[in-house]
Amino acid sequence: MTTHRRFALGLAMVAVPLVLALAGPLFAGDPGARGVSFTLGGGHWLGTDFVGRDVWQQVLLGGRTVVVTALAATALAYLVAVPVALMSALTRLRWLEELLMRPLDVLLAVPSLLLILLVASMLSPGAAGLALLVALVNVPDAARIVRAAAGEAAARPAVEALRMQGESWWRIAVGYVGRSALRTLAADAGIRLTGVLYLVSTAAFLGVGVAPDAADWAVMVDRNRTGLFVQPWAVVVPALLIVALTMGTNLLFDAALEKKPIRKKGRRP
Amino acid sequence: MSEVTDPVAEIRDLRVEIDGHAIVDGVRLRVLPGKVTALVGASGSGKTTTGLALLDEYPPGARVTGEVRRTGDGPVGYVPQHPAAVLNPARRVSALLDDLARPQVRHLPRAERRKAARALVLRALSDAQLPDSEDLLRRYPHQLSGGQQQRVVLAQALLLGARVIVADEPTTGQDALTKSRVVAQLAAVAARGIAIVLLSHDLDVVRALADEVLVMRAGRVVESGPAKRLWTAPRHEWTRRLLDQQRAAVKDGRHPKAGQPVLEVRNLTAVHDRRTTALHAPRLALHPGECLAVVGRSGSGKTTLARCLAGLHRDHDGEILLDGTPLPRSLRHRSRAQLAAVQYVFQDARAAFDEHRPVLHQVARTAVRLRGIDEREATAEASTTLTGLGLPAELAHRLPGELSGGELQRAALARALLARPRVLICDEVTSGLDTVTRRGILDVLAGLVGEGEKELSLVLITHDLDTARLAHRIAVLDAGELVEQGPVRRVLTDPRHPFTVSLMETTERLEAGTRT
Amino acid sequence: MSGLRSFVARRLLLGVAQTIAVVLLVFALTEALPGDAAVALAGDQPDPARIAAIREAMDLDRPAYERLADWAFGLLHGDFGTSLTSGRPVTQYIVDGFGPTLLLATLTLALLVPLGFGLGVLAARHEGRLVDRLVSSVTLAVYAVPEFALGVLLVLVLALKLAWLPPTALGYGTDLLAHPAALVLPVLVLLSRPVCSLSRLVRAGMVDALASPYAAHARRYGVPGARVRYAHALPNALAPAVQQLARTVDWLLCGVIVVEALFVIPGLGTVLLNAVAERDVPVVQGLAVVFGVLAVVLNLGADLVAHRLTPRAGVAA
Repeated sequence: MTTHRRFALGLAMVAVPLVLALAGPLFAGDPGARGVSFTLGGGHWLGTDFVGRDVWQQVLLGGRTVVVTALAATALAYLVAVPVALMSALTRLRWLEELLMRPLDVLLAVPSLLLILLVASMLSPGAAGLALLVALVNVPDAARIVRAAAGEAAARPAVEALRMQGESWWRIAVGYVGRSALRTLAADAGIRLTGVLYLVSTAAFLGVGVAPDAADWAVMVDRNRTGLFVQPWAVVVPALLIVALTMGTNLLFDAALEKKPIRKKGRRP
Repeated sequence: MSEVTDPVAEIRDLRVEIDGHAIVDGVRLRVLPGKVTALVGASGSGKTTTGLALLDEYPPGARVTGEVRRTGDGPVGYVPQHPAAVLNPARRVSALLDDLARPQVRHLPRAERRKAARALVLRALSDAQLPDSEDLLRRYPHQLSGGQQQRVVLAQALLLGARVIVADEPTTGQDALTKSRVVAQLAAVAARGIAIVLLSHDLDVVRALADEVLVMRAGRVVESGPAKRLWTAPRHEWTRRLLDQQRAAVKDGRHPKAGQPVLEVRNLTAVHDRRTTALHAPRLALHPGECLAVVGRSGSGKTTLARCLAGLHRDHDGEILLDGTPLPRSLRHRSRAQLAAVQYVFQDARAAFDEHRPVLHQVARTAVRLRGIDEREATAEASTTLTGLGLPAELAHRLPGELSGGELQRAALARALLARPRVLICDEVTSGLDTVTRRGILDVLAGLVGEGEKELSLVLITHDLDTARLAHRIAVLDAGELVEQGPVRRVLTDPRHPFTVSLMETTERLEAGTRT
Repeated sequence: MSGLRSFVARRLLLGVAQTIAVVLLVFALTEALPGDAAVALAGDQPDPARIAAIREAMDLDRPAYERLADWAFGLLHGDFGTSLTSGRPVTQYIVDGFGPTLLLATLTLALLVPLGFGLGVLAARHEGRLVDRLVSSVTLAVYAVPEFALGVLLVLVLALKLAWLPPTALGYGTDLLAHPAALVLPVLVLLSRPVCSLSRLVRAGMVDALASPYAAHARRYGVPGARVRYAHALPNALAPAVQQLARTVDWLLCGVIVVEALFVIPGLGTVLLNAVAERDVPVVQGLAVVFGVLAVVLNLGADLVAHRLTPRAGVAA
């Protein structure tokens, strides 16, 4: 498959769930009266769910939490990871670097879903809490990757040349080291968003950060499983939407990053 | 004698074209057994493409016409410029050698094969001057020194029974002692009747080794003939220019006026990793308008000395005085005036530029930051300085990635000069450049010494005595110790320390063109 | 080789620090409960008798450091405390759930390595051709999909529509080996993500290695193609792949929890989820320590292996 076609495929795949997630709640309208559980037809395009709500309406309502939580968590993770990584890459104080990076190494060992479940068993986090948690478990890895890219740039003679020119710390950190790490950051962002989408939806599936009857695609898959035999739509539609969202995001970023060719070093003789 | 021997390989009217642009055109080459045939030329002159053609390897997408014939049945061996690249980092040294030896012992009974193969491998290694190397076979490439890596790659070719070996720039960036070892090694291989095709821009080595020389320029052979004839009576203008640029005249005793030195080092002891002492220099002085060359092999501590002076290496004791006032050890604690006074030019110019910003802008920043003049004025000054150093304005507007190594080194010099420094430290600024480009940079440097009302002083860090000839005085470093210093003429003609003597001797031997 | 020894020592030290951190973290989270922990844990029906029982069982009246010391000391002896809801020892829960989880994990790992490497090498061998494009596209696509969504769709098609396999392991108890058909879907779902990531890495590593100057050098000197591929190129693809296996541990632990919930397998994941739902703190703590330490140990092992395999560039002094 060529890169262009993969890009187009990814875009098409992401578009459906994304539009449904963001615009869906505007068109959902009032929740109608609850009907009989797990029926097909009867004025309900996709039938009814486990408590007799209209599945189509639930689908329209249920994407926003996944998408918004995932985006917020990714942004939050970088908000912490990037400054920590830049600072530790540029400092010449050994202890500061250790202080910044060591705790992250330790945190990296804890399986992410375990940490989320552990917190969920004690406190009952809402959507915001879940975003915070998912961001937290992503910080160590993100910081490590950005740190590696920034460290590589910071070790180049260009940084010493800039210091020799009397450039300020900020200009070197943001203008050169940060900019050099940007490409790695973009590549990592795609992978990270996919991973965050995975984590957010899986947590919701396991009942973390959402009410048991919430309008959420992952929760729908979980709660409507009991009726899979009589009313598959209540499960299949949200499951397919999640598959399209995660798969499409991954394809899209993969193709987008491949498109930019790496600039040639040096001129052809 | 060469007229009676048949060539083991021959190239006739080779033309290699990429996108309609010929990178090699009309090249003829006869490779004779036991002889060294050298292809000489600046980088980009097509010598690597010609050399690889003997291996039937061409750049991707190339259109090839002409004839490459190999009469010998043995394959062609190849020793690339960076031998580490062809050694598998994940396998022990023995891995490929065993694979090469195995087919040669297939006729033996199964039980004896392993032992016979090992014997072949060891013999090839010892032929490549790695005797008793059982132990070496168990190591990984990264555990070998650069010289050992090169000899292992040579041993692979010998084990294969190659009749022709193509050696690509085997001495680039090496000091005189290492160079003479490589020369001896290749001479020994040729003495075994193997033809060597030497691709090099290092004329000393070519002169020491080559029987036949082909001078290449822009993909064409401009002159060819026996090495001796070429050196005594070059026919083509380009050859004459190439050979001319070999030697700069030694500076006369014009010693800059004594008095207060601009930069002075007292009891400097630098350490690496807070433990190992990398350098010890009791006293070293640099006077205004003076050019001081710091000479030594790699690892002798000369770069550490330069970095201490520039404030890039903080772990040291002792004092560095600028006009009699101590300089802070770290760049960070130096004032703008102090920063501007001592400037540093890096060995790897490409790595020393920000690849995202145009060269002109980066050069101008020095004047903005260190001399506080406004952006527009600084850009104008940068432009003038760059042009003065031989870099046209239209190149200066490009990104560093679009400039060649020599052009970038000129830009790096301009960047430092815009600080209006009193001392300019140049760390191996010409290593890795071809002869013509190197001479260009050295001419620029020679012109800078004593420039301006501040009488610019120069510190040249180099492993190359040829470059050191440019200086008024030479300081010699060996294993972190400052072993000798004095006026250039005295050190070059009457070296006192044994290390300097051996360095001089090797260099002279190389230049005299005798095989050792 | 002092470099290797110092790396191992440093890595072991980090492992110990990580283990201690896991234990502390697990304990600290209980302390983070707002207000009176006993009231919070009693849940929706705070009846005074239950609150008192919880307070008693967890020794909430004693200072935190004493409880931490007791608990940590107990962990060292294999004493994980007792459940709040049933009063049974936590160790019993772990022993009960261990079998099915171990079976799932072993089966998955046993299939993961040959499948991942096989697909990766296959794709690299046919780089740019149909097989490669197929393998690369499918692995790229499946890699990102959460297990529960993929699993539920597979159940619908393979179990309900085609009726080839049982939809869940419900009713088979812990003796899953006697019902291999019930294991097919869980293992398939569990494998989906790790196989994709592993094979992509192996492919990338192989493609790089095959295009490298040292592979070209071996070919130039007449070493046969298969030998260049497997003896010279593949070893260079091993290190990143093993590194990835270490990171896969995290996914496998997450995956096990999801898959057990999805297919109703009575393993450690199900025990954990039930305890989370019931706010049975000692059980959650005990399982978290088991999972956490397991992750630390597996990570440590994979890191050490990867370090051993990592090719190093450069030149000795």
